[in-house]
This record gives sequence, C-alpha cells and structure tokens, in this order.
Amino acid sequence: MKVTVIRSGGFAGVQRRGESDSGKDPLLARLVDRVDLTSVPPPGRIPDQFLYDIDIDGDTATVGEAQLNGPLRELVHHVLGRAG
Amino acid sequence: MRCTIVPPHMLEHVAHDPAADPALRAMARRSLVLSAAQRVERRVGPVAPSPPTEDFVPKRTINDAANQETLPGRTVRAEGAPATGDRVVDQAYEWLGVTFDFFEAAYRRDSIDGAGLPMISTVHYGRDYDNAFWNGEQMVYGDGDGVLFTAFTGPLDVTGHELTHGVTQYTAALEYFGQSGALNESASDVFGSLIKQWHLGQTADQADWLIGQGLLAEGVNGVALRSMKEPGTAYDDPRLGKDPQPGHMDDYVDTYRDNGGVHINSGIPNRAFHLAATTLGGNAWEKAGRVWYDTLTGGKLSPTIDFAGFAAATVATATGLYGADAAETTAVRNAWTGVGVSL
Ligand SMILES: [Zn+2]
Repeated sequence: MKVTVIRSGGFAGVQRRGESDSGKDPLLARLVDRVDLTSVPPPGRIPDQFLYDIDIDGDTATVGEAQLNGPLRELVHHVLGRAG
Repeated sequence: MRCTIVPPHMLEHVAHDPAADPALRAMARRSLVLSAAQRVERRVGPVAPSPPTEDFVPKRTINDAANQETLPGRTVRAEGAPATGDRVVDQAYEWLGVTFDFFEAAYRRDSIDGAGLPMISTVHYGRDYDNAFWNGEQMVYGDGDGVLFTAFTGPLDVTGHELTHGVTQYTAALEYFGQSGALNESASDVFGSLIKQWHLGQTADQADWLIGQGLLAEGVNGVALRSMKEPGTAYDDPRLGKDPQPGHMDDYVDTYRDNGGVHINSGIPNRAFHLAATTLGGNAWEKAGRVWYDTLTGGKLSPTIDFAGFAAATVATATGLYGADAAETTAVRNAWTGVGVSL
C-alpha cells in the first residue's frame, strides 16, 4: 500500500512531504495494520500546530499534532523521516 | 473517510441538523467542543482601562519539557528568580518580559488578557522539534533540529508572535481558518515585528520587516521565514522549498492545508500593514500599530471576518482616531487597495 504524509502549518509554515510503499517496507506494513484512520478526531484549531494529511491507499485523514498518538504517530514520523 | 477542516458555522449546522448522518453529527460536535475549549473565554468589548499611573508587573513561568512532548514540564524559572544559566530558559524569560513591556508601554495592556494573566512558556519541547506554538493557555518552544532551524526561543519576534496569538484569543478571537485565520496569523506577525522594532528603537524605514530572522540554521538559503515587506522572498532552499507567501490578492492561494493557508495568505495583510506603516513613517507601533491594535481589541470584529471586512474596520478605526480625511486614514486605505483588497 502506498502511504503519503504531508505536514503543513507550524510557525514556519514550511510544508514537508513523505511517501513510502508498505510492500517494500515491512515496518510500515506493520504500522499500517495497527492504524485506523476512521477513528482519528478532527484537528483542533491550535495556532501554529503541525497538521498532518495522511493518505493510505486513498483513505485519508487530517490529524493535528496534539492528537497524534500511538501507531499513527509512529507511522507519520516513519514516513516523514527526521524532524518530521 | 475524509476528516477535513470545516469552518465552525458549518460544524454548527451539521451538529444540529437532524437529517445529517449520525456519525458526522457526532464528529461535528466533538470538533466544536475541541475548538471551543481552545478558545477559552472571549472577552466582549475592550477591558476597562487601568489607571494610567499603575505599573503592570509580569508573572512569568518557564518550564522545561526535557525533550519530551508533555506539557507543562518542570518549572525551572519563576518570576523574579535569578538566571538559570540555561541560555534557552533565560532567553525565553527575557523575551516574555520585553513582550509584556511592549504591550504595556505602547497600548497600556496588562499582559495577554489585559488583566495580568500569568505568562507560561515551556522550552526544550520534543527532540529536534522545529516549531513554536500557543496551545490556548501557554507558549511552547522547540530547540530546532540544528540543521534547518535553530532554537525557536532565539528570535524575539517568535515570542511576540506566539504571545499575540493569546492576545487575539482573548479579544477578536479570529477563527483559525481561511481569511480570518490568515488575519490571526498576520496580527501575530505584525505585533511580533513591532515588539522587535520597539526593543531595537527602530523606525519603520529602519526595520527589516522580517519574521524569524536568525531562525534558519547556517547553510540554509534564506534570510528569515517571512518578509512583511516583500512576501515570498524570505527563503529559497532545496530542502525548505521557496517562501510561498503572496503579497497581493491576485496571488491568493486556495488550499485546505495549513487550516486554509493561514501561514501563506497572511502575506497579504502583512504587506498592507507594512505599506501603511512606511507611508506614515516614524515608529510603526505609534500610528499604524495603534490602528491595528484598536481594531483587533475593540470588540467589533466578527470572529470569521474576511480581509475586506478587517480592512474596512481598520479604516473605521483610523477615522475615529485621526479623522476621515487625515493622512493616517488615507495611508491605511491606500495600503489595503495596494494589496488588492477593495474597500
Ligand atoms: Zn502563528
């Protein structure tokens, strides 16, 4: 499965994008199995917080950094890499 | 399922529409509760003015998150305590003091809420954390990754920007989405820059009008994160990309990301402020700053106001302060038409 994460917002407003294929990335495949995008709460409007647009094979969600926990958090940082 | 960012009036509609899908209705309600909690309490109208001789006193607390992402962290410096020797902690403490003094000296404002609210900051937040934010109750600062960004406690205007989000929350409560969100962002840049100018004793023509100067690490191709004078020119780097800010309505960016481009389209009202301030000359916080401050805190703005509505409100404020035909009012009017916002 193709996983795309786009980070927007933050004080700097600098957008970051990461993409990975779970077919070639066993760690990502395990994370995808543990993530349920339908259960994430909508992002609150916190000034300058990071927002993450997550796309797993066409299933999408927008998550605020304050709500980013557990396997979804691991997935986001794994796909975005360092300082994501 | 798509969980996009929806303006609150639409959420209200969905939350109370009996015909709406029950799951959607529940989600809309959850979202409303969240954003209402973050807004805390909106003050209706300006705070009663304090006696002009009263000396306001800051109440600062600096907490250390010790590279975790848990708030508020351990208190390492309270008001009046001596320097800790941790440069990041002491810088955060100093800049809170300067920001507090600015609002007192320029506008007779007593702290974030106008009523002496304690100022709380958490530093050393996260690891390689490239951000600072206001969470509705306090300021939070990362140390930066050292490769692209230095510590966010470094530049004074970052603290001014974050603290002004608190001022906006307690006054106009501009909804952090779309044009009202870009105005919220712009207010933080405007007063962030004015605090720096006041601290350095610079007039409008001496100021750099940059936001986050000093925040980009060595080797990054850029001068700052935003330019109020020339939006879109602050950086152009292979790792960061190019500064995406427009300086005119012709280049307004429609996007759902970043709460509808709040950090992008803020370039337009930022440049309007720069035009007004440089046309008037002198200390920018005295005239242009006064017009913007009175507009933001005057209790007359709708939380979902757009650029045109805010522009008209600044012209009304200038008219009230200086008169309809005054140079100040003309400068404000021309500033908005100069960025393509019609009045
Ligand atoms: Zn901001």
